[in-house]
Amino acid sequence: MSSFAAASAVLVVGLITYASRAGMIVFLADRPVPTNVTRALRYVGPAVLSALSVNLLAGGDGIGGVTAIESAAVVAGIVTVAATRNLIASIAVGMTTLWLLLWLT
Amino acid sequence: MSPPARSRPSLRDDPVARRALLDCFPLFVPAIPFALVLGVAITESAMPTAIAWSTNIFVFAGAAQLATVSLAATATWLTLVATAAVINLRHVMYSAAMAPRFTEQPTWFRWVGPFFLIDQMFALGMARPELSNSDWRRYYLTAGIFFFSSWNVLVTLGLVLGSAIPTEWRLDVAPAIMFAGIVVLGVTNRPGIVAAVVGAGVCFIALDVPNNGGILLGAIAGVLAGYVADVVLDRSSHGPHPLAADGTDPT
Repeated sequence: MSSFAAASAVLVVGLITYASRAGMIVFLADRPVPTNVTRALRYVGPAVLSALSVNLLAGGDGIGGVTAIESAAVVAGIVTVAATRNLIASIAVGMTTLWLLLWLT
Repeated sequence: MSPPARSRPSLRDDPVARRALLDCFPLFVPAIPFALVLGVAITESAMPTAIAWSTNIFVFAGAAQLATVSLAATATWLTLVATAAVINLRHVMYSAAMAPRFTEQPTWFRWVGPFFLIDQMFALGMARPELSNSDWRRYYLTAGIFFFSSWNVLVTLGLVLGSAIPTEWRLDVAPAIMFAGIVVLGVTNRPGIVAAVVGAGVCFIALDVPNNGGILLGAIAGVLAGYVADVVLDRSSHGPHPLAADGTDPT
């Protein structure tokens, strides 16, 4: 990615981020958001972040880019965070699983 | 002899600012690994390091920052921006919920305040309804500046550590583990689980769609599935619709 493309992407993402935070406060403070919209927005976080996790796992190589070892590391992280509610433990267990499996194979 | 100049209260003398910092601490601790992983991801990014680091200043939103710097290697410009935009959609919800608290604030604060509206600030801002407008403004700004400055320091620390770690350690896998963990922490009900599973599943099936289109397809499918599950579960928990029982429309 060229410096210009990277810088312009960062600036546009920054503007979009600010607009999404300021929109209702600065411009639409007195207008209520429809209940259906609020209800749908609740699920944006889990839907997009889980999709992003799968995409990063593939590393841009399509379905063939998802390896068993990396998937096992993510699953180990998920099980850990579900049991402990602790992100630090999740990263530690996930990465340790990855390193162990890489070492064994 | 002239009277002593009246100065603003120091942090030690200002209970509101002190309260803000105390409230920040438990919310900031869980963000520390995220900041460090982001710092490491910046060193691995296809973007020039300084530009990737500048997301701290211009974006200041952990998940969107991590997506931006991580996707730079594989996604097109448009996909990268669209993905970050979708990730940030939850901020619209925060903005809508916080708007009443801002209506009686000065104009400058209505413009400046939203910059700091990260997940933790939303939680803090909604948690102190008892504060007067001016106290709440001081509370909010103290917390916001704390999060912004601490975030910058920790991400930079992660960047320094990341540069020293060899690529064989495969730290490029850490963001995938981090995002999956955030989903698990953030999901609090069954429709949320449906949204996450459908989002991941559709993205997996669509991994071969060009330009990382699977992310957006997964996001759209996941939101729709979560919404439908929410409506269906809500209806089933309230029993059969009265119209079905007596033939009259309750509305």
